[in-house]
Amino acid sequence: MAQHEVEITISKTGEVKVHVKGVKGKGCLEYAEWLSKIVGKVKDRKLTSEYYEPEVKSRINLHQQLNNEQ
Amino acid sequence: MSTVIILTPIIIGGWPSIMAAVVGAASALGLVVKETVKEEIKQQQAVEESVEIELANSEVLAQNLASGKEVVLTKGDIEIRVGRDERGRCKVCAKGKGHTKAELKQIAEEFSRKMTQCFVYNRVATELKSKGFQMVNEEVMEDQTIRINVRRWVD
Repeated sequence: MAQHEVEITISKTGEVKVHVKGVKGKGCLEYAEWLSKIVGKVKDRKLTSEYYEPEVKSRINLHQQLNNEQ
Repeated sequence: MSTVIILTPIIIGGWPSIMAAVVGAASALGLVVKETVKEEIKQQQAVEESVEIELANSEVLAQNLASGKEVVLTKGDIEIRVGRDERGRCKVCAKGKGHTKAELKQIAEEFSRKMTQCFVYNRVATELKSKGFQMVNEEVMEDQTIRINVRRWVD
């Protein structure tokens, strides 16, 4: 199981900053889309290094493939 | 690190959710709900200045509140009225004897900002709970920013 963490900051003007942590690959965009539907319009979006990391399932498959080849 | 997004809030909701935000903002700013819903007062007294602002990104769904009715809040000699205009947008009007238009505008804007923050908080907290997130930490910073940390376990 993976732990997904979200840090939400609501400024005094109501602007919302969402920091999704622990979600690899495109999964974080699903969170971003879900939260934008709840709150409003996306003003800015930054993808961090974790976005470009493979998702957990892919890594397991790769690991299994490597073991099978040995 | 994964992703960081900045969202501009849009207030769309039925009157109960708007009212919850109004009550939250009123409580935070020391205002008292004088009347829950009343007929809009069309005639203003000449001695009282009043300022009306409209929340641009807002839409109050017509549930139990027809246009022209509003909630009245008071704090000392300041009166704030929150209602739904003919176009369905949320409007905030501040008035009070002995206050300039600039002061009243500032009061109305402060209230609408707090109301927006309360609305967004209520909405986000409800949705996070429904998605099975657990609250890890919640704090109000010195600058009145609310910070929420949640997590959940997924397969």
